[in-house]
Amino acid sequence: MSATPFADVLAALTRQRGVLGSMVVSEADGIIVDSNLQIGVKGNVVAALAASLYRKARLSAGAAGLGTANFVQLEAERGRVCAVGRGDLLLVTVAESRANVGLIRVEMLRATQVLET
Amino acid sequence: MTVAVVENWVEEPLKRFVSDARVRLALLLHPSGQVLGQSGFTRAVDVMSACALAAAIHASAGELGRQLEGKPFHVLHHAGKERQIFIAPAQTRRGLYIFLSVFDRESSLGLVQLYYAEFEQRLAAAAPELEPPQVVLAENFERDLNHNLAALFGRA
Repeated sequence: MSATPFADVLAALTRQRGVLGSMVVSEADGIIVDSNLQIGVKGNVVAALAASLYRKARLSAGAAGLGTANFVQLEAERGRVCAVGRGDLLLVTVAESRANVGLIRVEMLRATQVLET
Repeated sequence: MTVAVVENWVEEPLKRFVSDARVRLALLLHPSGQVLGQSGFTRAVDVMSACALAAAIHASAGELGRQLEGKPFHVLHHAGKERQIFIAPAQTRRGLYIFLSVFDRESSLGLVQLYYAEFEQRLAAAAPELEPPQVVLAENFERDLNHNLAALFGRA
């Protein structure tokens, strides 16, 4: 099977310290398009729920008159889920608490260019 | 959200699925087309039609899968412009059932798949011990169907 256009971006993100995995997900369906996950990360579950979360965050931002949601970050007890979207695609990253969220954010925003191609 | 069931053990898993997955309609039926539980339908005639169509789709898709791959297709998903249909078999110790769900933009295929997997487990756990097999006889089918529909819509 040939690599998708997202393979390099996902590999680069998952190489970041503390990152457990990253995925390109269809926002409307919550289905994984491509992923690079460490063993133990429930990709399908995270993809479905993160897409739902992002969709609702985007709608909330719109309803509040704030425009488009650029970056959604969920902080949990033992880590973070970050999502950024372009068009119908989302880039989702799962990271431990020790991960450098600033660096991940920059990398994710940069990587969204790939989602637009 | 209203969930109506013919057999009580179906209620909790179905209610939980509808609440979690935010689907518009949900229907659990026997492969013969007899309804066990439903959510979202307001008319008995709609349930009857949906059961007949779901049973027919399941039978046709099963045979198509057997012809193509030697085994029936597991899950069917059809995406319309506004609404989407998800049909899947649910195996319990009481036998195989068919599950049909209709959802819109409030939910997604990923969420439906995710919560369906949980629903299937809950349904299998809730299913009582197998009773002696009952054959669905043609002469009893309509009577049983009417009985189930009356139970669902409060006219039993």
